[in-house]
Amino acid sequence: MEVLGLEERVRAIVKEVLKVNEAVIKPDARFREDLGADSLDLVTLLMALEQEFGGSISDAEAAGMTTVGQAQALISGLKAPSVMKGSP
Amino acid sequence: MRRVVITGIGIIAPNGAETGRFWENCLAARSSVAPIPETWKAYHSFSSNIWAPLPPLDFQQFGINRIEMMQSDTTALLAVAAAKQALSMADVETSPANEKKNTLTLKAVDALRMGVFIGTGIGGISSFAANEAHHVFSPVQAKLSDEGAAGGFSGWVRFPNRFNPFAVAMSMPNTAAASVGIKYSLHGPNMTVCNACAAGTSAVGRAFLAVRGGEADCALAGGVEYLRDDYGGIFRAFDCAKTLVKAGEDPNRANRPFDKDRSGFLFAEGGAAILMLESLDHARSRGARPIAEICSFVESFDAYSMMSPDPTGCDIERMLRIAVANAGLALGDIDYINAHGTGTAANDEMEARIIERLFGDKPLVNSTKSLTGHCVGASGAIEAAVTALSIRYQTTHGCKNLESPIAALRFVRDALPYSIKTALTQSFAFGGHNAALVLAASSSL
Repeated sequence: MEVLGLEERVRAIVKEVLKVNEAVIKPDARFREDLGADSLDLVTLLMALEQEFGGSISDAEAAGMTTVGQAQALISGLKAPSVMKGSP
Repeated sequence: MRRVVITGIGIIAPNGAETGRFWENCLAARSSVAPIPETWKAYHSFSSNIWAPLPPLDFQQFGINRIEMMQSDTTALLAVAAAKQALSMADVETSPANEKKNTLTLKAVDALRMGVFIGTGIGGISSFAANEAHHVFSPVQAKLSDEGAAGGFSGWVRFPNRFNPFAVAMSMPNTAAASVGIKYSLHGPNMTVCNACAAGTSAVGRAFLAVRGGEADCALAGGVEYLRDDYGGIFRAFDCAKTLVKAGEDPNRANRPFDKDRSGFLFAEGGAAILMLESLDHARSRGARPIAEICSFVESFDAYSMMSPDPTGCDIERMLRIAVANAGLALGDIDYINAHGTGTAANDEMEARIIERLFGDKPLVNSTKSLTGHCVGASGAIEAAVTALSIRYQTTHGCKNLESPIAALRFVRDALPYSIKTALTQSFAFGGHNAALVLAASSSL
């Protein structure tokens, strides 16, 4: 089985939730403007990321997560034990 | 008026998560009985300590993806999964509608003329309870943690990681009917019936009336319930009403409707049954094979007590007389009665006397709840499905654990071949709601 890196796993979840072509899921792609996400898509994306990686994303963190790259950076941060919150 | 037939059945019950498996298990007298979750006992000492859990469910097998699972109450997932089975049995093919939403359209069916009618007792209560737990305990746990006191408390609280943004949609009673309508892109009448333990029967009946009257050509109709929560609070609500079965020495023999030693009903974790109903002409036009015909549907109301049936059963008796007459039959024509048969002292006594008075010892009588436990809003639909399957296969299941019957009725002991041309299924609910369906064999259709 292929083991995906963290960035690839985030891209896979973006694809799973937004059903967009993999080619457009680039680090600078904006969820709303470029990938067509609405507010329900964005909260679903948060839940899917939390389910996949454990931990929880705060409202402030979520507000700052507007691009694929920001989501990847946020998850990298979440994976650090010092910022893990809540139960997985 | 149009004739209405059942052409597909989907069931998820404690004793079987697929129609064929469920029916096999019923005929083999296999039920689901287990101790209640150990974690619940930390919060309360319950009078009853057994329940009927569902088997492990793989919703992906029913075409439901992870995103839908995150956004949906379990009643919605159960209903969609049961609907998929019903459509498959009815030979209704599907094709993808919207990839992102994972929705489907039905082939050879006019979506504008297809309805959804689903009954439930308490709708999305498990989702409500989970989100309420997050709402209360998330800040409490954080505050205790700040004060260094969380250690002694943390084992007591369980709540989801996030207050679900879909909490309203998940909690509302119509979440199951709406989910089925969205999943299969159905635009006909879509309604939810919330009359407790009669909800499944009434929902099938309302669908029958809509198809018979021409409001729709076909419908997905049934009932659904899901009553598990992290703390056993929903179980406690039934337990403190003194309605639940006592485990006794042998939990597997405790649930015994119509027995002198019955002690209450077996609480089921949940369940669902969805039936594909269509006008006979509609079924014929697409070459579908009827399983059974629905001939009449009648409801009545006790206006007596919120929690107990009227012991005289006068409104149930009136309802049954009308139901049989409206089917064009005499009381003596009924071959089989799928009883409400909960196993409570009050219900079984009242119900047995009515059957005795109206039908004598001629019809076969059984209680599906002796096998499934009480699935509340799903039970009437599961029992309508059992009634249709009994007609289709000319056999039915026994009354599990019935050793000393409270009346000299023709209780089914074994799943033998029987002649079942006409049948009655009846449900009675908290509040005082009563509902009955008369079904008949479709061999003459």
